[in-house]
Amino acid sequence: MSEIFTMGIDVGSTSSKCIILKNGKEIVSKSMIPVGAGTSGPRRVVEAVLRESKLSIEDLSYILATGYGRHMMDWVHSEMSELSCHAKAAYFLYPNVRTVIDIGGQDAKVLRISPQGMLTNFAMNDKCAAGTGRFLDVMARVIEVEVDDLGVLSAQSTNVINISSTCTVFAESEVISQLAQNTHINDIVRGIHRSVAGRVAGLAKRVGVEDDVVMTGGVAKNNGVVVALEEELYKKIHVSPLAQYAGALGAALYAFDKRES
Amino acid sequence: MSEKIPAKIRLRSIVDKVYQNAWDAKERGEPVGWSSSKFPAEIAEALGLAVCYPENQAAAISAKHGGQRMCEHAEALGYDNDICGYARISMAYAAGFEAEEKAMPQPDFLLCCNNICNCMTKWYENIARMHDIPLVMIDVPYNNTVEVGDDYVQYIRGQFDDAIKQLEEISGRKMNEKKFEEVCANSNRTAKAWLKVCSYLQYKPSPFAGFDLFNHMAVVVTARCKLESALAFEALAEELQENVKNNHSTWKYEEKHRIMFEGIPCWPQLQPLFKPLKENGMNTTAVVYAPAFGFAYSNLDELMKAYCKAPNSVCLETGVDWREGICRENKVDGILVHYNRSCKPWSGYMPEMERRFRKDLGVPVVSFDGDQADPRNFSEAQYNTRVEGLYEVMEEYKAKKEAK
Amino acid sequence: MSNIQTLLSAFDAIAKNPKKQLDDYISQGKKAIGCFPYYVPEELVYASGMVPFGVWGKTGGKINLAKEYFAAFYCTIAQLNLEMGLDGTLDGLSGVIAPSICDTLRPFTQNFRVACPDIPFMFLAHPQNRKKEYGVKFTEQQYNKIKIKLEEISGIKITNDNLNEAIKIYNENRKARRRFIELAGQYPHIITATSRSVVLKSAFFMLKDEHTKMLNELNGLIEASPIEPWKGKKVVTSGIVLDSPSLLKIFDDNQLAIVADDMAHESRAIRVDVQENTNHPMQALAEQFGNQDYDTLLYDPELNKRPGYLVEKVKKSQADGVVIMIMQFCDPEEIEFPSLKKGLEEAGIPYIKIGMDQQMTNFGQAQTSLQAFADVLSTL
Repeated sequence: MSEIFTMGIDVGSTSSKCIILKNGKEIVSKSMIPVGAGTSGPRRVVEAVLRESKLSIEDLSYILATGYGRHMMDWVHSEMSELSCHAKAAYFLYPNVRTVIDIGGQDAKVLRISPQGMLTNFAMNDKCAAGTGRFLDVMARVIEVEVDDLGVLSAQSTNVINISSTCTVFAESEVISQLAQNTHINDIVRGIHRSVAGRVAGLAKRVGVEDDVVMTGGVAKNNGVVVALEEELYKKIHVSPLAQYAGALGAALYAFDKRES
Repeated sequence: MSEKIPAKIRLRSIVDKVYQNAWDAKERGEPVGWSSSKFPAEIAEALGLAVCYPENQAAAISAKHGGQRMCEHAEALGYDNDICGYARISMAYAAGFEAEEKAMPQPDFLLCCNNICNCMTKWYENIARMHDIPLVMIDVPYNNTVEVGDDYVQYIRGQFDDAIKQLEEISGRKMNEKKFEEVCANSNRTAKAWLKVCSYLQYKPSPFAGFDLFNHMAVVVTARCKLESALAFEALAEELQENVKNNHSTWKYEEKHRIMFEGIPCWPQLQPLFKPLKENGMNTTAVVYAPAFGFAYSNLDELMKAYCKAPNSVCLETGVDWREGICRENKVDGILVHYNRSCKPWSGYMPEMERRFRKDLGVPVVSFDGDQADPRNFSEAQYNTRVEGLYEVMEEYKAKKEAK
Repeated sequence: MSNIQTLLSAFDAIAKNPKKQLDDYISQGKKAIGCFPYYVPEELVYASGMVPFGVWGKTGGKINLAKEYFAAFYCTIAQLNLEMGLDGTLDGLSGVIAPSICDTLRPFTQNFRVACPDIPFMFLAHPQNRKKEYGVKFTEQQYNKIKIKLEEISGIKITNDNLNEAIKIYNENRKARRRFIELAGQYPHIITATSRSVVLKSAFFMLKDEHTKMLNELNGLIEASPIEPWKGKKVVTSGIVLDSPSLLKIFDDNQLAIVADDMAHESRAIRVDVQENTNHPMQALAEQFGNQDYDTLLYDPELNKRPGYLVEKVKKSQADGVVIMIMQFCDPEEIEFPSLKKGLEEAGIPYIKIGMDQQMTNFGQAQTSLQAFADVLSTL
């Protein structure tokens, strides 16, 4: 069998991800650029994977785009919603998956997957930013820490505090008042994570949560949110090292299927 | 018993008894009803039916910090977080989520009157579905005029008579004319005593902390047809009379300013709500529940009219009139308005009312965002800043007045 | 085919420019009465020789002046109706009829009445216990109050004769619209979601006899066309209003044909006819309201008829799933969602819930949801 290469590009709201897949199974190269739709991100991320894999566009059998900015990619073969792509990737990584929780920059989504790996039902957050990556960004800025450090900080928390406001502006003032009371930053971070988890868990319960539960999307690398979600749902949550690439991976997998058909 | 029991204790025990009564009825295998706060309570009372009050329960659960938990249960069932917090808490409880903060028996029938809001209609329909139980519905359409027309009276009367028939069937008893009159007399007496209690807020300084009315209101809601309620309010009025005489007050702080608190309190945040008020010497001497629940009637037509008048069923002019009436009587010098995320009808008039208060009363008006039951919609920092702002403006007004 | 396109363009022009429609009627010497949602007895307006003009917010509108009256957590239809009263859009109207059946419309009626004192205001209370004799009587009494004011404005008496005539014209229009909805479901390759919407929406800005005439012609042309197999999926929509062109385009792009609906602005508004040629046409109108059902805004004495009704609709129209458009801050729609969800799940019908409001112009999330929903439907 000759080698077949497909590409999946995930143009998110805050980052661009790209994967090249060999024969629908093996990841040849992957890359991420922390800027998304409407920026140079998509172009740069594609260049990066091609460079790494030493392939050219002509070597690719099929290219599929997903994510918030997928419509702007007029040069690809086709596009699909990130919901379908995350479902596809989660099933590829964890064949026993039934529930996928994907927290991205703008959206939080909960997907139900059939035993055959089909997306059967899903729910998305409402307009409000609570329960999304955006909320974590805002809060990290308020407490002057890097978003990437949030997980480590909350792991060191010793006290449970509540950040309960639904509204991001109100939550910000709640966090500030905790700071003013000298509450330890670790506890505040944990409170923030619990707040995000609470919102997403509500969404998850609406579509029903069944094992195995897999978390995908950029926020999955924040272990603090994962732990808080496990506490809220009383479920073990699986996180792949490829969690952030789930959209791009799913797109590359779909690209392989589409090439065959 | 010769020792006088303080009225406050008596009032609290009345509410406890209402719920105990419901538990006892359940135990005996008798039907228990859930009722909206301004359903004509006279009917069930005269038929000897045990009734609980979900709004009162939701407020109690919220005050004991169970509101968020129950709201989240409701949201997991698919109820949007924009829906009234009382409704979410109540539907979660009806769906089987327990609330040790204020337990009450599950319902066998429902008494819904939507004079307070239309959300009530759908909320009770949802509960009726969950339990597959009868719903007695008295619909009071919104009224655009100060007067209540005969068309409203006839329509509500028709429903009232139907409700009696339905409840006769549920209770297995016939309505006793004499008992009904007695119950109505109690209701009137309670209303009168309630108004009397409220009227003591006119004294300067006030013989009590007006915020207490929010607690006493539970009795007007759950037990206005009971003689003991009338007696307890009469006793409270006597105590207040004594307070006036002895220059004593349950407001333990200086009374630098007197305000109207507009809207339902944020039950989950009673302490934070009260804190800047007491620190700045701002006593609440006006709450709209005083006129809203102080309704008396002398015949059935008047009873129908009385139930047409709830905070969210009357027109803008009546709403303004109620509030400005108590503000003037109780010498209010500032108004604090709660924009309550849970209550769309109520908060929906407030911007226009605020303008009228400023113009008609010449007092400062300040608003804040909050919620009667869901703690996630309130910011203590915002509230404190607003209250301080109100305080400072009131001080300025006062200084100007004194300079004249 | 070209005739169909010509007619669709005519409907489109009307639906997109209600202001021009209003100005045209006024220049013909006619008076127009604004009819806010829901269940305004337009027949009365028609009988009084005036043009009933539907005012259901403004898709893609911006709320600015209305903020003086409403906090942010209110239905955008109500807010935009007030906005249009304040910014002069509604100036040509000789009056408005404002129902008060939900918790946002209650304060809306008061706010509009005081904010726009130059527009004659007709308050309308509907009873929830609308089926029993006392309910019908109450409705009739309220309609009579409207009647008296309409007569004052138009100078024309509403008689049994002209009211019966109006009822007939309205029944004919309801029938034509219901037929069109069926046809749109059978001919999705001719009637897109977008054109379906403009045909139905234009009715709100036209005298109904004029609309019926155009629509019957369109219906005839569609019926004469060959039925083609539909490659995409078929859905039933549920909600308040779905008329945003960018949102409808997403349906079309993803080949989601709307084969039936449960929208307040569409089917819910034309479901029930009024008895014709009676000696008591006012009572007939009141009875029509009594016969309204399956609506989130209305009390259901049987408690749970709506989910079953929708399930039937899905089966009858052979739809693959339901798209529930939740108007942000609409309590009745939100609180009835779990029961609907339960009913659909029990019947094994896929559904999707999408939040929206009239101020939205960017539907990225709806796009993602609908695309994924189309994927889900094609895997089933």
